[in-house]
Formats: sequence, C-alpha cells, structure tokens
Amino acid sequence: MEAMKEADFTLDLRGESCPYPVIYTLEALEGMNKGELLQVITDCPGSFRNVPEEAIAHGYTFAQDPVKNGQEYLFYIYA
Amino acid sequence: MFQSVFQRHWNPYVVLIVAGLLSALYFGLTSTVWAVTGEFTRLGGEILQVFGVDVSGWEYYQMVKLDGSTWTRPDGWIVWGMFVGALMMVLLSNSFKVRLPQQRRRYVQGFVGGIIAGFGARLALGCNLAAFFTGVPQFSFHSWIFIVATGIGTFFGAKLTKMRWWKGKPSLARGAGKPSVAKTRVIQPYVGGAIALVYLGFVVYLFSTGQKLLGLGALFGLAFGVLIERGQICFTSAFRDLFLVGRSLMTKAIIIGMTASSVITFVVISVYDMTPITQIAALSTLVGGVLFGLGIVMASGCETGMMYRLMEGQVLFLPVFAGNVIGATVLAYGWDNLGIYDVLVQGGDKINLIATLGPAGAILSTLVMLGVLYALTVYREKSYHRNFELKRGVA
Repeated sequence: MEAMKEADFTLDLRGESCPYPVIYTLEALEGMNKGELLQVITDCPGSFRNVPEEAIAHGYTFAQDPVKNGQEYLFYIYA
Repeated sequence: MFQSVFQRHWNPYVVLIVAGLLSALYFGLTSTVWAVTGEFTRLGGEILQVFGVDVSGWEYYQMVKLDGSTWTRPDGWIVWGMFVGALMMVLLSNSFKVRLPQQRRRYVQGFVGGIIAGFGARLALGCNLAAFFTGVPQFSFHSWIFIVATGIGTFFGAKLTKMRWWKGKPSLARGAGKPSVAKTRVIQPYVGGAIALVYLGFVVYLFSTGQKLLGLGALFGLAFGVLIERGQICFTSAFRDLFLVGRSLMTKAIIIGMTASSVITFVVISVYDMTPITQIAALSTLVGGVLFGLGIVMASGCETGMMYRLMEGQVLFLPVFAGNVIGATVLAYGWDNLGIYDVLVQGGDKINLIATLGPAGAILSTLVMLGVLYALTVYREKSYHRNFELKRGVA
C-alpha cells in the first residue's frame, strides 16, 4: 500500500447501476495519460465483477488487488 | 465455505445451469414455467380493481386468468419468493445499501424504460423467462423470434446508452478521493437469517396444509431469487454488454443454461408425456421483443434483474418496477380495447417445434440454434477486441 503512488484521478461511481460503471471507467482511462493512476469507488454489485474484468480485457493493469470497503469496492487501475 | 457461499458471487455458468435444471423440474412438477411478467400484469389488474376499475371484461385478463389474489396464485409466489430469496442473500452477505443514482435522469430513464419493457414483454407473451430462458426449452417457436427481436432492440438501446445526453457526465475528480467509512457493526446477516427461517416455516405451512402448488411456487421462487442474486444474472447485459464493450460472459452462461434446460425439459416431456407450453408466434412477438430489448437497456434492468437489484437497495429500480407493472397493464388494456390483438396477434399461430418437426427435429434444431448463438457471441467478442486494439494502436 505504501509503495503505491497517490491516485491521479478518482471516479466516484457510488449509486450508479450497470452499465454506466463500465462505460465511465473505460472512458476515464481512455482520456488519461499512460501510466496515470485511476481510483474507482463503486457500490453496484454488478460492477464488482464487470469493471475489473473489462479493464483488464481492454489492456489496463491493476496497481493492487481490489479493496472491499463495506458495501463498496475500490479499484486502482493504471491508464 | 461460508466465505465462498455468502461473500462471493457465484459462477454464472453454474448458477444458470442449476436454474435451467430447476425450471425443467418445476415444469415437470406443476406443468407451468418459471415466469414473472404475467404476474406483473395481474398485479396491475388487482391494483385497478382496488380503485374500482372493472377489468373482468378485458380479454387479456381472461387469457392470463386473473383470479384470486397474488397470494393465492403459484405464479404470485414465484415473484414474492424471488424477492425474498434475493433479499435474504443480500442480507446474509452484508451487502444491502441504499444506493441513490447520482444522475437524476436515471429515474426518468428507468421509469420510461420500465414501461416500454413491461409493455413489450406482455405483447410478446413473456419476458426473458417465458419467451427466452424457459421458452426455448418448451420448444415454443415464439421464443426464437423473441430472441432475435430482443437482440435488435438491445442494439438500439446500447447506441442510446452511449449518447452524451443520455449517459451524463461522471464525477471524475483530480487526486485521490475518499471512500465511505465502512460500518464495523454487522447486523444484516442476522436479519437475513431470520427472514430465511420465517419464510421456510411458511413454506412448510403451505405444504402441511395441502397447498402444494403454492408451496412449490414459494420454494422455487425462493431458489430462483437466491440464484439470480448470487450469480448477478443480468439478462439485460447479455446482449447489451456484447454490443457496448464486447463482454460475453453472461451471454455464454445463458446459452449454456438454456442448453441444459432444453435437454432436461425434453426428457421430462418425453418420459411423462407432457404437453409443452406454447405461445402465439406473430408479428406481436417481433414488435414486443424489439420494444422489450430497447426498454430493458433504457431501464438498466429487465423484469428479472430489477428484482434482485431492488433488494440490494438500488433505488433506481423502484420506478423500473412501477414502470414494468404500468406497461404490462397498458398492454392488457390495449389488447382488445385498442385493437392490438386484431392488428398484431390475430394472424399468428401457436407453433411448437415438437409438433411441427417431431421430437428429434425439435431438440436437434434447438441445439443447432443455441450453437449458432454461441458462435455469433464469440465472433462479436473477438471482432470488438480486434477493432479496439486497432483503434488503440493508431491512437
């Protein structure tokens, strides 16, 4: 955790239902410079699976494992 | 064990195969199928009756048999069982949270989409259950038309979803944002456990008082609710996400589940010499399917998916539920009163593949159709990612 750099952008998806978490995440990553770090905060249960799977399928990498925070998840993805 | 059952979502392939087998079993036991929107239509009729509207003359209600109340119909208990099953699992996994959409426009989109989806589903005589997941295994040809039509409707829905004015601007901020503070006191699983005990006691009561059909409805409804919530089974995403981001997981899982269900239902029909449930295949199936496909994408969920999402606390699905019931009821009114039947349904026919192609032809053609669907899914996924990589390479 300490070794990880601070997120450059935060995408707050709390309250949004599918498919918007995936669309917003992919669009945010697309708009960022390579190597920048995106933090995603999401609470739609469908997105716990489709956001990380689609980020990886679209060629992005995770800075660390997803963090379960109560009823929400936090993702850290490199653009 | 506890961790993997209650903390994780289950593999959608396993969930849909089990759901497919259970729905075949439910058919074998009751001669009816797992379905929900027919009951939504009856609910709408019951609500109108409370307000003094006499719907007994509406032909649609004679067709779907509006008698008793939702509590005295097995179809009613399928619906309430699904709600309870989903809620129970949400609580047991400590994942209930009131989730309010940041984008206010979602409420309008959900309500309008819900109406269109409810109307379309009942026009086609079934949603993605009776005209899809449990329709194909009944060898009812109307479900083949419905699948194609839903695909078309979803395609346009997906286009709409990508439009700027529709999706809205996300809340993207510079720097690291703060997540919510997680509560340390966990009470949801206890509430979930209590609900499970009370409900199972009620099921035992139904059986012990000889109300076997209600008991079966309540029990299978519960099982279906547990399954769709834990598997996050979203029929809406099956086509939509394939068009949007080349995601194929749910599509493949649904096709595999339908294959399992078709084979078992075929055995049940042959061994017990049962009559499969066949609905009219007509222009209404095509029009209804397209409307349904469009509506579920607008609403972000179909009549089945909205049930467990509502139980998770996703407030968006309240207007969707209301919309579904309203849309179904409007269709029931328009069936004879607005001439929908004469224009779109009358020319159709009940076509069952077992009757027209023979048993071997029916199961073979169904398996081929599902195989083609699977191949198209893989093709679409591959071509999406090929295009995406090309685009990325250029940029």
